[in-house]
Amino acid sequence: MTNSDVDIVNVIESKFGSRVQIQPGLLGTATIHTSNGLHRDVIKAMIEADEKTGITAITGLDLGANLGLIYHIHTAKGFFGIKAEVPKENPKIQTINDIIPGATFHELEVTDLFGVVFEGNPLAGHFLLSENWPEGIFPLRKDVNPSEVKLNPSPPQEKMHEDKKTVKFIIGPQHPALLEPEKFSVTVDGEIVTKVEPRIGYVHRGIEKSAESRTYIQDIYLVERVCGICNPCHAYGFVGAVEKILKPDVPPRAKYLRVIALELNRLHSHMLTLGHAGLEIGYETLFQYFWRDREPIMDLIELTSGNRVYGSLMTIGGVRRDLKDTDIPKIKTVMANLRSKLPFYRKVYTDEPSIRARMQNEGVLSREDAIKLGVVGPVARGSGYDIDVRKDEPSEAYGEIPFKEIVYDSGDTWARMNVRMDELEQSINIIEYALDHLPKGPFRVEVPRYVPAGEAVNRVEAPRGELFYYVKGNGTASPERVKIRTPTYANIPAFLKTAIGENIADVPPNFVSLDPCFSCTDR
Amino acid sequence: MAVDFWLIARILIFPGFTFILLLTLFCDWVERKLEARIQNRVGPLVAGPAGLFQPIADFIKLLTKEEIDPRDARKTIFKFAPLAAFTIMVFAMYFLPVDGSSVISAGGFNGDLIVILTFSTIASFLLFLSGWASSNPYGTISSARVLTQFLGFDIPLFIIALTPAFIAGSLSIFAIASYQTTKALPFIIMAPWAFVLFLITIQAELEKDPFDVPDAESELVGGIETEYTGAKLAFLHLTRDVQIVFGAALVVELFLGGPYGPVIGGLPAFWYSLWFVLKLLAVVIVTEYITTLFARLRIDQVLSANWKIILPLAVVSLMLTVAMITWVYPLV
Amino acid sequence: MTEKKTKKPRTNPLSPMWKRTASSLFKKPATTKYPFVKPKLPDDFRGKPDYTIRTCNMIDLSGTQRQFEFDVQKLVNTHCTVCARDCPANAIEIVEVDGKQRPQFDLNKCIFCNQCVESCPRNAIKGSTEYELATTDKKSLIIKPNPNGDAKQ
Repeated sequence: MTNSDVDIVNVIESKFGSRVQIQPGLLGTATIHTSNGLHRDVIKAMIEADEKTGITAITGLDLGANLGLIYHIHTAKGFFGIKAEVPKENPKIQTINDIIPGATFHELEVTDLFGVVFEGNPLAGHFLLSENWPEGIFPLRKDVNPSEVKLNPSPPQEKMHEDKKTVKFIIGPQHPALLEPEKFSVTVDGEIVTKVEPRIGYVHRGIEKSAESRTYIQDIYLVERVCGICNPCHAYGFVGAVEKILKPDVPPRAKYLRVIALELNRLHSHMLTLGHAGLEIGYETLFQYFWRDREPIMDLIELTSGNRVYGSLMTIGGVRRDLKDTDIPKIKTVMANLRSKLPFYRKVYTDEPSIRARMQNEGVLSREDAIKLGVVGPVARGSGYDIDVRKDEPSEAYGEIPFKEIVYDSGDTWARMNVRMDELEQSINIIEYALDHLPKGPFRVEVPRYVPAGEAVNRVEAPRGELFYYVKGNGTASPERVKIRTPTYANIPAFLKTAIGENIADVPPNFVSLDPCFSCTDR
Repeated sequence: MAVDFWLIARILIFPGFTFILLLTLFCDWVERKLEARIQNRVGPLVAGPAGLFQPIADFIKLLTKEEIDPRDARKTIFKFAPLAAFTIMVFAMYFLPVDGSSVISAGGFNGDLIVILTFSTIASFLLFLSGWASSNPYGTISSARVLTQFLGFDIPLFIIALTPAFIAGSLSIFAIASYQTTKALPFIIMAPWAFVLFLITIQAELEKDPFDVPDAESELVGGIETEYTGAKLAFLHLTRDVQIVFGAALVVELFLGGPYGPVIGGLPAFWYSLWFVLKLLAVVIVTEYITTLFARLRIDQVLSANWKIILPLAVVSLMLTVAMITWVYPLV
Repeated sequence: MTEKKTKKPRTNPLSPMWKRTASSLFKKPATTKYPFVKPKLPDDFRGKPDYTIRTCNMIDLSGTQRQFEFDVQKLVNTHCTVCARDCPANAIEIVEVDGKQRPQFDLNKCIFCNQCVESCPRNAIKGSTEYELATTDKKSLIIKPNPNGDAKQ
């Protein structure tokens, strides 16, 4: 399989010739404009050229008379956009669900929010919107003002017991196993799971629509609040995309400070998950120990950015505050302390018999399924699928800092937790290297408030996986479209597959091992 | 019939109802504080000195809350099962000698070991019924797990509980407890294998980690207590706590010599009660320590642990003890 | 139902948790006993914004809300509503105090991002480390500008 992205452009050119227009350098490696349903053939050609092809997102756009669609496809080393358009009166297009199974969720979302019908992937009911949203009104179109929409009364509840043999066991919306509300209807036969049906959208706040009516500076804080745990990654995703349109000269010190903020966030998020996994299997002591050791990291985040959770450190053109020289020894002390505690936790995860009994060989996801469903982050790296945005497309200072990409092959719950455990050490290495090599100079440049017309994508490796942002500017002080594809959104289809055939008791640890964050999923 | 005030005082106050209630609440505090300290946090702190009144504050708070009954629940069982389970557990405690003689009688009767083990089984069964009557899928699945677990572990429990009976030559708790101090060493030294197995089995009967599976919060929300509110929930919690005290008291009576210990100066009743409480607290601390140490096993792992490991080992331990009594110990 | 055996530990049968849990019993708890003990905060913790009226730039609010570049020199002599315009939570409202237009901070809506601190070209708004703002009266959380001196709540 070829690894070079230039080859893929050549392949497409040679196969399709003048039926498509290729714009290199736009939206990643290249953008391919298609029409007449050619998108399916282009994607098929890409999969044949490179087996690690998968879909990242499908962006819907309101272009006036037409609805635009951008299929963002990632390959081994390249990132492509495939554009297509459908008229508003007849918004039908063929699905790519059969070629790439991971596209299901993305297509359902575009159907729900824009009204595009994907033939072959029908939507029954609502996907992201609530049940009492009226039919025929698609909120992300430009002519819809959500505050003027009248909601229908709520429909009746679904029944718990379908037939006498199988029981529908509903996890959520409110459930101790979940951090945020979502509903998973699990059909069980005795104690074995036979089917899982998700219903997401309980935390849908309409952030993408809201971002279109606020200025760029206000939007940084808005997208930060998509998720509390990975908020610097959201802020950086947005800021990075806007910077690709504006092209300011971001100073090197700002790049290093951004890396430090992102890695501190990764540390605290992984410790949160590792402790939370202990809670799911009933191991409260491990949970309390992990979270006790997580507290110094929260104090560090407070020291560097002013608040324990919402750092608000990123801004367009750099970072908002500088790192004082007196703070650097404090950070290094905490890092050294944490590094000395890691061997104990490593040993617990390896030697503790009850952890191995609950986590090994449960929830296995094979490498092929991982590639086809498009999973990202530690879930992918635990199944032998080595994608990491920090290595594939290094931005900021990641290209200059040496670190290892952690990949495990077994694909079970235990492997995914081990990936996170090892990444803790890598993050500590990155932070110490960045502190030692912190360049001097300014930490911010001024940027204009009006962003010229243009579009850009940005990908960042959040603790849960690859986070994707698409920003389109139109020359005013507000963006025209902001599209967010969060890592949990890509990982939930994997859970639907791995949960089948195991005990009910294994469903929570399996679920936690993919580190779900529903605020991210629903936006 | 003449009213025996002394008997009523023993039933109601000491070593009867009030004493058991206070001991239960105190053991709850000990457990929570110990678990907190192991996990490097403070535990109950504010209610009373060092948080001593926290369990009673929780109990009173639950009594004042509104009671909501689900529409489809079986009314009678739903309402009375928690109270009935609590009553039976307390009544089972009345048979144990606390200050040299139990509440019911001065010397017990032959076979009361079997009686109290049966009472504990009936109480667990009533707990299962309370979850079953809730008409809630979480309660149903959890009560099925409760039934499977306690019925399965009752068999090795009975077999291992018979081991001290074999050594003492009697099925009366008094005889077993006093045999350990008057005629021989405490059975923890004479049959340590039975003691270890008994601890594990009690851990499973009391549904504590690693056998915590019926009460799995992360899967089943509340387990059998999902639909319970107010006073009924208070009594469910109290039943669980009394079960823990009962299990620890069984360990004390059967293996640690019961309340009998050295008496310094006069007043044997006081010293016996003191030794009883101290030994009970030691057992509670050990079981709580094991709880914090392990994660929760799955139901099929618990069952395979029971039928494939614990039950055969229980039978082997009984045979080993009988062999030791017949051939080895008379030589010592 | 598939039978899964409990896995035997591969290396050391004694989990490392035994030692750690036993030794934790004798260590001081890691809990900060708030509210009896208050935590120590860094100096630049983002708490309540602190507004000094004397240096505010607002002289007159004309009907036009012009957008302009973030350049301090240019703003000295022009109309300024930057704090209200940049607030992500729309927590700053321009009200009239003593014939002058001043910003009013609604702490019910404030997200303590300190963007107003950054945007103000005259450094009229400073951050503070005050975070214990809970109260039973919503109206007391609106900081009204006081014509005589500093902002009063």
